[in-house]
Amino acid sequence: MKKLLIRIGIVAMLLVAMNWVYSKWFYEKDLQAHSDMVNLPRQVVADSCRIVYLGESSNRTYGWAESDQRKISDMVWAYFPNLRCGDMTKDASHAEIYYNLLKQIPKKSAVETVVVTMNLRSFDAGWIYSNLETPLQKQLVLLKDYPPLVNRFLLAFKAYPIRSEAEWDKIVNKHWKSDPIEFPYDFEWKTTNQWDMAMNRHGFVDVHGNYDQDLTILACHYIKAYAFQIKDDNPRIKDFDAIVDLCQKRGWNLIFNLLPENVDKANELVGKDLIFLMKMNRDYLVKRYGALEHVTVVDNLNLVRDVNFIDQNWTTEHYYAEGRHIVARRIALALKELYPDAFDDTCSVVADDGHFYFRDAISIDAAQPYSYTLDMPTADLHPDWEKVNVEFEVCQKDRSHEAVLAVQWYDSEENSNAIYYPIQDKITAVGQWDFVTFTLPVDSVLRSARHFKIFVYNPFAAPVSVKGLDISFRPAYMKTGVKGESDR
Amino acid sequence: MVFNSIEFVIFLPIVVLLFYLLPQKARWFMLLAASCVFYMWFVPRYILILLVTIVIDYSAGLLMEKHENEPKKKKTFLVISIVSTLLVLFIFKYLGFINDNFVWLCQKLGLDVHTTVNIILPIGLSFHTFQSMSYVIEVYRGHQKAERHFGYYSLYVMFFPQLVTGPIERPGNLLRQLHEHKDFRYENISKGMRLILFGLFIKMVVADHLGAYVDEVYANPAEYNSWSVMLAMAFYSFQIYCDFFGYSTIALGSAKLMGFDISDNFRTPYLAKNIGEFWHRWHISLSTWFRDYVYIPLGGSRVKFGRWAFNIMVVFVLSGIWHGAAWTFLFWGFAHGLLHIVEKALKQHVPTLEPKSKWLSVSIDVLRIAKTFVLVTLFWVMFRATDFANMRDIFAAAVTNFDGGQSLAVKPEVWLYLGLFILSDLLLFNTRFDAWCEDKPMIVRWLIYALLIFLVIACSSVNSFPFIYFQF
Repeated sequence: MKKLLIRIGIVAMLLVAMNWVYSKWFYEKDLQAHSDMVNLPRQVVADSCRIVYLGESSNRTYGWAESDQRKISDMVWAYFPNLRCGDMTKDASHAEIYYNLLKQIPKKSAVETVVVTMNLRSFDAGWIYSNLETPLQKQLVLLKDYPPLVNRFLLAFKAYPIRSEAEWDKIVNKHWKSDPIEFPYDFEWKTTNQWDMAMNRHGFVDVHGNYDQDLTILACHYIKAYAFQIKDDNPRIKDFDAIVDLCQKRGWNLIFNLLPENVDKANELVGKDLIFLMKMNRDYLVKRYGALEHVTVVDNLNLVRDVNFIDQNWTTEHYYAEGRHIVARRIALALKELYPDAFDDTCSVVADDGHFYFRDAISIDAAQPYSYTLDMPTADLHPDWEKVNVEFEVCQKDRSHEAVLAVQWYDSEENSNAIYYPIQDKITAVGQWDFVTFTLPVDSVLRSARHFKIFVYNPFAAPVSVKGLDISFRPAYMKTGVKGESDR
Repeated sequence: MVFNSIEFVIFLPIVVLLFYLLPQKARWFMLLAASCVFYMWFVPRYILILLVTIVIDYSAGLLMEKHENEPKKKKTFLVISIVSTLLVLFIFKYLGFINDNFVWLCQKLGLDVHTTVNIILPIGLSFHTFQSMSYVIEVYRGHQKAERHFGYYSLYVMFFPQLVTGPIERPGNLLRQLHEHKDFRYENISKGMRLILFGLFIKMVVADHLGAYVDEVYANPAEYNSWSVMLAMAFYSFQIYCDFFGYSTIALGSAKLMGFDISDNFRTPYLAKNIGEFWHRWHISLSTWFRDYVYIPLGGSRVKFGRWAFNIMVVFVLSGIWHGAAWTFLFWGFAHGLLHIVEKALKQHVPTLEPKSKWLSVSIDVLRIAKTFVLVTLFWVMFRATDFANMRDIFAAAVTNFDGGQSLAVKPEVWLYLGLFILSDLLLFNTRFDAWCEDKPMIVRWLIYALLIFLVIACSSVNSFPFIYFQF
């Protein structure tokens, strides 16, 4: 045994010597070959950046024909021309990757504020257990806190999850089958899988009742991407918590950039239940992190309209320039609170044509039957616009009203016509806010008028409150006549 | 669990420690439990298949012994046992292949047949079924007493160091040792560690680096010029050798840590002068299995040439099919068998040169070794190819693409690793790394250990290449 202990001692000394040799001559080469993401924090440090933006592919542009090819982060920096800023953009990354990148920034650096992308989909099992995790986790091994030789040992002996695509899929499916979705109201489907199967079974049907294969697949995909419920034990929550801890230890300001999702399409394809769930998850994140000291959550979830999403046949957060502008401006405004003197609003113009938002709540009844109203000359309607999405939240005290969404168009000031869309059958809750959405045609009748109005109308005694009236025009991306409802 | 994983790095020391801490009577149970954990790390439910073959062969052994004086009954139990074991092998390994060929044939005959069989091959099935069969055959022949202790018998089939890709052990060696009391001896730890270290080096540093080159070329042979394709063919010869030899060496080392000596599986096979010698040096535990249980019962070499050739062909074709359920494997076995027959025929009919000069003699030996290596390398193409089309593409690219295609560069360090391995193979001619180290001065030994440890940790391939023989 003594002999063995002596040998163990010799091996230990050898390992120390080897670690020195490895660190000096091999480690850097390995980092560049197997963990080149290490260059991102290095660059930020080398550039003495005060603000750092961490993001995934949402920070890039995929609209190759666009004149403005800037990243979201670059658009943000345009508001702060005199501050040194930098980004760490790594495709398919998520909170765990961000945490590991942030750890690489030395304590003594110029960094003061970090903007971390918070992608709602990244909380879904489909992303957490994506087959991209094997290469991502592999890249993290050399960045661990152990001595370089130990990290290399862990890499050599594959101390990261090596699974085939089928094995990852199996884990994802297990979660989709077993993770419960709990609505505060009665909802037939209890898991992602059940909901997905139901959509697949019944299919997405147009107004003529015809099954649409492509849109059914897309609707199912939206369910798989968003029909989940974030809970405290979600692995991403642990990662975001770790980021908060790290930022607090380093004294950095932290801004979470909750990315916009294609709520329009989710609503049209699946319906308001999915929107409800997305918003519930959004609320969870805002509540969990928004109240923390030195942490700001910029809630962009519902801010970018469908027309500004590049990928129309898949769920991504790839935005056209206008969408990136919208996000950038929101982050810039949050940063303005930290760097008021450095903020320069003259350098950037946000063009958000066709999007109108009336945030405030208003109670409408017989005495005051009109909600906030969009009054628009038809000359302002872009020729490509074929649809208008109208979304708002409604709170009814009882069900005795017959409030409607009204579209009223004027051929002259005296001569007008209107179409009314009942909202009663779209809301189930009483005494609390519920979400209502419509997708309406922008047809030749409307275009032939001089101007038109969109508003919620309630000429009855029973009052109804309306807030967050969100109206967006856009080209048709789906076949005409489709009806966006879940099978529920 | 694979040997070059962090799980095994944690698992093995725990098992070895427990082995020496526990009293002898509890060791079998601990080893069996460890072996179950080891096996179930892959696909847990497949342990039930192992359990079925274990129960059948264990019972057959006892029944054969019970009816020792009733040859007919004894033979019946042997047949039942072997048929059952082979049936398991057939269902999991060959049913899909036979179905595919049946469907292909039907479609050629104009019949509309579309049956599919999707069964995942349990890892190491061919190895432990053969090990299990060797037990019943040995009991039948009276060379081995039937094992009465179900736990020990299960451990014989499931002993984790050699469970997944052998060496295929005989009861006379392993089962006997499992009963023996093993004291802690520094020598065993030392030898075991040496073997594990050397095995890890040749698998993780040599085989896996070569594998990256081979995979690239085999995936798109038409894209590369003939030199690159030929290099990939040669590299594959070393890759499969280092991969399998590496695994076997780690298996030997892991068993040795607990004082168990399991069989050597390789003896510098690429230094063989002819194909017969190659098979005496390559995958020895399988070669000897076929020799003892197929070749000799068929008559072996004590028959006329024609019959001998038939026996050889049966053994090699079976060996090919044993490796995998595909025509390419059968073809590979056939090619080896044919070459063996041709070599023997030439030896019988062409007078052998007897050079008087030592240098000439050595030169002729080198040429023979080179010839055998080239032929074996060509045959490996059949083994490695995904199908006949891929095999054809490889051979075509190797002989027709001298001017076209791109050249795939080999990283300088890969040449270094391969060179180190070839040097070690020459040094280890007819010996083993643990024994070779024995008579070296301490400083030399430790320098070698340090080099190997450093190479394994700092220079191993970071890409994940499963052990090639896992698929069998």
